Amino acid sequence: MRARVDVPDLAFAAFLIALGALAFALASELSVGTAASMGPGYVPRGLALLVMAYGLVLGARAMVAGWRAFPEIAFRPLLLICASVALFAVLLPIAGLALTSFIIVVCAGFAAYDVRVRENLVVATALAAFAVVLFVSALGLPIPIWPR
Amino acid sequence: MDLFANLATGFATALTPANLGFCFIGALIGTLVGVLPGIAPITTIAILLPFTFSLPPASSLIMLAGIFYGAQYGGSTTAILVNVPGESSAIVTCLDGHQMAKQGRAGPALAIAAIASFVAGTIATLVIATASVPMSALALQFNAAEYFSLMVLGLIGSVVLAHGAPDKAVAMVLVGLLLGLVGIDVNTGAPRMTYDIAELSDGIGFVPIAIGLFGIAELAVTLGKPQDRGLLSFRLRDLWPSRAEIRSCIPAMLRGTAVGSVLGVLPGGGAALSSFAAYAVEKKSSRAPERFGRGAIEGVAAPEAANNAGAQTSFIPLLTLGIPGNAIMALMVGAMMIQGIQPGPQVMTAQPQLFWGVVASMWLGNLMLIVLNLPLIGLWVALLRVPYRLMFPAIVLFCCIGTYSIGNTVFDVWVMLLFGVLGVFFYKVGAEPAPFILGFVLGPLMEENFRRAMYLSRGDPLVFIERPISALLLALAVGLLIILILPAVRAKREEVFRE
Repeated sequence: MRARVDVPDLAFAAFLIALGALAFALASELSVGTAASMGPGYVPRGLALLVMAYGLVLGARAMVAGWRAFPEIAFRPLLLICASVALFAVLLPIAGLALTSFIIVVCAGFAAYDVRVRENLVVATALAAFAVVLFVSALGLPIPIWPR
Repeated sequence: MDLFANLATGFATALTPANLGFCFIGALIGTLVGVLPGIAPITTIAILLPFTFSLPPASSLIMLAGIFYGAQYGGSTTAILVNVPGESSAIVTCLDGHQMAKQGRAGPALAIAAIASFVAGTIATLVIATASVPMSALALQFNAAEYFSLMVLGLIGSVVLAHGAPDKAVAMVLVGLLLGLVGIDVNTGAPRMTYDIAELSDGIGFVPIAIGLFGIAELAVTLGKPQDRGLLSFRLRDLWPSRAEIRSCIPAMLRGTAVGSVLGVLPGGGAALSSFAAYAVEKKSSRAPERFGRGAIEGVAAPEAANNAGAQTSFIPLLTLGIPGNAIMALMVGAMMIQGIQPGPQVMTAQPQLFWGVVASMWLGNLMLIVLNLPLIGLWVALLRVPYRLMFPAIVLFCCIGTYSIGNTVFDVWVMLLFGVLGVFFYKVGAEPAPFILGFVLGPLMEENFRRAMYLSRGDPLVFIERPISALLLALAVGLLIILILPAVRAKREEVFRE
């Protein structure tokens, strides 16, 4: 016999409880004050408790809601898109806009199942040039173009 | 009459060459993202927000508004020709629009969609111009208690009208409110829940969150699904609908406009909801409902009128009360804040050029859009032939550069990444990000008004029901909640969203 757990709902409930607990811990040093003169901690603590309580109710309901599996995640696009963003954050201060743009576009391109390598390289070159012209030359954003 | 004087002020602002240019750019970008599936107007507005910093306030708002209603025009093109909504509010247009295209009547379907949008856009502009003055006069009498109650009503409204499960939408609102409080407390100067991270002292950035949830997460989810682009061909000279078709569509357009104008103003309303409701109304009131779903031209005209009307009238609560009714309006709050404008009823009196300029630009934008969409339809169709794999890397890059450029710090890029991953999680568990964004924007405002009202009443919570307007607003909110819980209404609601 399978468990009667609704996995997506339970996961969401766990997220709520964890977030509420974290917020409560972070807000615990703040003074609460009184209802007439609230301190900085009054509303955050109240909301954190509310989020946790809501998570508990949703979680309890999910335990008996009947089996539902967590939907499948397409890991290839998710991981490659995230990797591109992370690469941007790491590389931009070191490598400048032109190289960073080229690298992250190549990386993101592989997130598509129907990627074509040569086409991807052409797109990356074109986009890197476009980004430099549009954002630095035309819009004047203070971003370094080349590696320092 | 005042209306004409106000509109004259507006046109004087909107007709300057620079503002006409920004209106055109907005309408053009809006059409583009409307046509292309996989990139929504909300993502586009989020990405462009940082770049509006250097623009004058009126130009910035005129352009961003243009993207929203421009997308309503573009979305129908893809819906009709590919049977994939270019934009969420064009989902119902697929039903009859694509059937018409299959029967070789793609041209009339496209034309009637653009004409209906234009008619609705014109009427909606007038609705905004007439409704705004009394609305903001009313709002000027609001006190902290009324503002708090109004925001409660707005948030509950957004839950009732959310697409997904309402119980999860409530949770998302709470999470948004909570995360909105991160940063320095305005009353005491104490840093709150910042974990001593200096970058968080001004709160978690709104733009990184919005781009993460609506840009990065959306991309990761879209790429995981199979891409289907079976494009139907059509000839440009077959564009014009027959006179009988136009005649039969006029009442449908007007009904659609009425439905859209009303639903656009409601909290949680906007373009997508309006088009669903208008289609349902049209099918109910038709003498031959069986024609719907088989290529009824009214089934294209009504929702296309409604989504454009709804897109525009959803600006009313933002511009007059300072309270965003949906996630895109929450982004517009961000756009106004970047310009140093506090949204609220005082905008209309303190900056009439800005207010009326934006309103007038909507009509001009609609005029440009009908030109952009009818004769240039071939261009958009050509764009649809560009495969998605060539487009999405550009979106990733623009998301990154846009987020980075708000504060020239990679910290925001990491925040965007975190919310991108969270966005995928929310999607997988069936929780909508829109109520979260609303809660996030309203969180600090609600807390401030709550604290002020409680301070004035010396800690007596009854103040919220002792003041009549506040009590009325809260009663409406409770009414909405009761409606939501009633089983009969729940079944009906699910039925509407399934269609």
